[in-house]
Amino acid sequence: MQRYLFSRVIQSILLLFGVLLLVFLMMRLTGDPASLMVSRNASPEQIEAVREEMGLNDPLIVQFWRFASGAVVGDFGMSIRHREPALDLILERLPATVELATVSLFLSMVVGIPLGLLAGSRPGSIWDALARIAGLIGQTIPNFWLALILILVFSVQLRIFPTFGRETWEICCGVELPTKSVILPAIALGVFTMGQLVRFTRSSVLEIRNEDYIRTARSKGLSDRRIYLGHILRNAAIPLISIIGVQFGYLLSGSIYIETIFSWPGLGNLLAEAIGNRDFALVQAIAVFTSLAVITINLLADVAYAVADPRIKYGG
Amino acid sequence: MKRLLLILAIMLAVSIALTACAAPAAPETAAEGTAGEAAAAPAEAPTEGSTLRVALSTFPNSLDMPIAAERNASNAAWQLYNSLVWVDDDGAVVPALAESWEVSEDGSEITMKLREDVTFHNGEPFSADSVIFSWERGMRPDMQWSDRWAMVTDIEKVDDYMIVLKTEEPNPLLLRIIAENWAMVPPQYIEEVGEDGFAAHPVGTGPFEFVEWNKGDRIVMKAYSDYWEEGYPKVDNLIFRPIPESSTRVAAIKTGEIDIVGRLSAEEAAQLKGVDGVEVISYPVDRVYYIAFNNLTTGVDMPTEDPKVRQAMNYAVDVDAIIDALFAGNGRPSTGYVTPANWGYDTEIQPFGYDPDKARELLAEAGYPDGFEIDFACPSGAYTNFEQVCEAIVGYLGDVGITANLELMESGQYWDLEAKKELPPLFGDSWSETSGEAYPRLTGALGGWDASFSAWSDPEIDRLLGEIGKEMDDDARAGLYVELQRYMQENPPFIYLYEPVTFEAKSTRVKDYRPRPAENYYLKYTYIEE
Repeated sequence: MQRYLFSRVIQSILLLFGVLLLVFLMMRLTGDPASLMVSRNASPEQIEAVREEMGLNDPLIVQFWRFASGAVVGDFGMSIRHREPALDLILERLPATVELATVSLFLSMVVGIPLGLLAGSRPGSIWDALARIAGLIGQTIPNFWLALILILVFSVQLRIFPTFGRETWEICCGVELPTKSVILPAIALGVFTMGQLVRFTRSSVLEIRNEDYIRTARSKGLSDRRIYLGHILRNAAIPLISIIGVQFGYLLSGSIYIETIFSWPGLGNLLAEAIGNRDFALVQAIAVFTSLAVITINLLADVAYAVADPRIKYGG
Repeated sequence: MKRLLLILAIMLAVSIALTACAAPAAPETAAEGTAGEAAAAPAEAPTEGSTLRVALSTFPNSLDMPIAAERNASNAAWQLYNSLVWVDDDGAVVPALAESWEVSEDGSEITMKLREDVTFHNGEPFSADSVIFSWERGMRPDMQWSDRWAMVTDIEKVDDYMIVLKTEEPNPLLLRIIAENWAMVPPQYIEEVGEDGFAAHPVGTGPFEFVEWNKGDRIVMKAYSDYWEEGYPKVDNLIFRPIPESSTRVAAIKTGEIDIVGRLSAEEAAQLKGVDGVEVISYPVDRVYYIAFNNLTTGVDMPTEDPKVRQAMNYAVDVDAIIDALFAGNGRPSTGYVTPANWGYDTEIQPFGYDPDKARELLAEAGYPDGFEIDFACPSGAYTNFEQVCEAIVGYLGDVGITANLELMESGQYWDLEAKKELPPLFGDSWSETSGEAYPRLTGALGGWDASFSAWSDPEIDRLLGEIGKEMDDDARAGLYVELQRYMQENPPFIYLYEPVTFEAKSTRVKDYRPRPAENYYLKYTYIEE
């Protein structure tokens, strides 16, 4: 286990370094931001001065070293546009993205897992048909389109939810709870995950219900209820953990589309804006930050996998 | 099963912990006295009195004028500040923090008498020192708009309320540029809280004072009770909400969550017509769209160096059809680089008009009866339907025998190349102007090697611009503008395209909202009728 953990951490670090390099080079492929940082009446000398001041004239390798060595100690440099440390900007926007990701994952699990379980336990039933439709729609519907439809129906027509923005409810001492403003973006963002969970739960349950040990359980005279909750779901949960882990990582990295449409003040929105403005430091910081989140959560999911399934032994 | 629940519980705990860890980051950067407010739930926005809610189409980078990067940022910022002078709705320069001024005979010195009854939102009195401090700060090289402050080379303090602004050469536009850019800031306050503190809690003398800025979500301001202009502002609270997606802005004005939205497309505006409680506003914008020629780098020795060829290319493009097809008829064909909103606009000048026969004739006269081939670039994702406009132009030029090889480029990369003069000999762009005169736009696009975003140089244009830049007499300057516009029709440095119409919508409860051709507004007059 320890050896496995160690090698996974090393892998993760290498992966992170690869991401750093890729993001760094890709941003620089398309020109530098100096011309966006001056007025349009600027003289070539003014632009040159900006370039010099921001270190954009240094060789790429020097710029990369500056970026990578700073990143290791949590210094991602100053956002060019906001003139604030990039990390501060990320931390400001993080609560909104975490809130959206958590609520969205919660909703998709509450809907997806029971529906998948029902469908898998009664193949061919109306539940099964419903689950297959939900799974298909969830995975194929473009979420930005769904977002606009949700706004149209639930905000403009029915006036149940706010159209945009984030409201929170402070219970005490800086701890804030979500309010209904999170519901529409969470549905739009979570529908894909919901579809995946329905399909995976259903197929796992279908597979497991034909296993020998289930037949044994039945022959012992256990009730259906105990068989499904105690044996089938418990075993079906194992692959679900890794899916939930991957999905949580994906949701945490923030969705550019959903956050933009709902004007949700999270990382996705910040990233969209940063890319548009060639805010190198900020884009790099967000990329590193979200890859770190995804890699860490995947690592945790793998460990959880081992904890949940005694049959799995790593590295041994 | 229990393990699954345990894992879920851990995940939930992790997300709550992440939220809680990250939450205190905001107040940390806030200035003294605002920390509590910044941390408070934004839902607790001020509710006493009337509240005006305005949508912004981007996230402002700063509320500090010298670094406010674009129109949305400066629109929100200007509600907090005043300049020395102001341009009123009729375009006249009128007193603001300077109650009167006198321009020296040679035009290089302006003596200003400052108001004595003005205080900043923190109580600090406004005086000559505030002007000098603001000017020195605005000129700093790390300020984006430093060139707008550096036009004044020295400020002499005569007494606490009398200053002399000095320039190297007479500058007829100086007062307008001051009105648009010189936001007065409090020296003692900035010294106390530092630049970071000022960024977190900006203070000015303007009609509204800063309350809180929940990054990415809202900027809250309230009426400044000691504002020097009696009776203003007319609403108690002002909230800006950034909504980057235009269809969401449309939804938000329909539901009444927002009172004013801007930057709508013609289709979205049409969709809002007839909606209860919503009024659609449209007005021409002081922005010119054009296809530029290059005679400095990539366009050297190209057929486009011949003015006849450039005229031919203007005749070849059917601008009216483009406006009809792509903008539902909303827009005006450009007659040149000076718009009707600008001082010195030539009322007699006509757009080239669509005349492909004349275009072929001129091409033949110039020695290109079979046309020629030329590279052409346009930015994508920067302007409404501009990609389609460029594709239409390729078609029109093809009709008269000119093969234009169009390359669409991501806008950031495009402007980078434009600033380096590395775009192809034919390239599309647009240029807006806020000062009410076309001079900055003209010098920016036609200043040759001295201007980053220029790819064109013409000695006659240089001569006329040189005179305009020094002519302090308004009528004489208007005459020079007319002369320049006529020259620029004979020798067009651009294919002139169109000036757009912008669409906004407001709640019918909102009165006296007065947007200007540069898509800017001052909300001190605006009020809400219950």
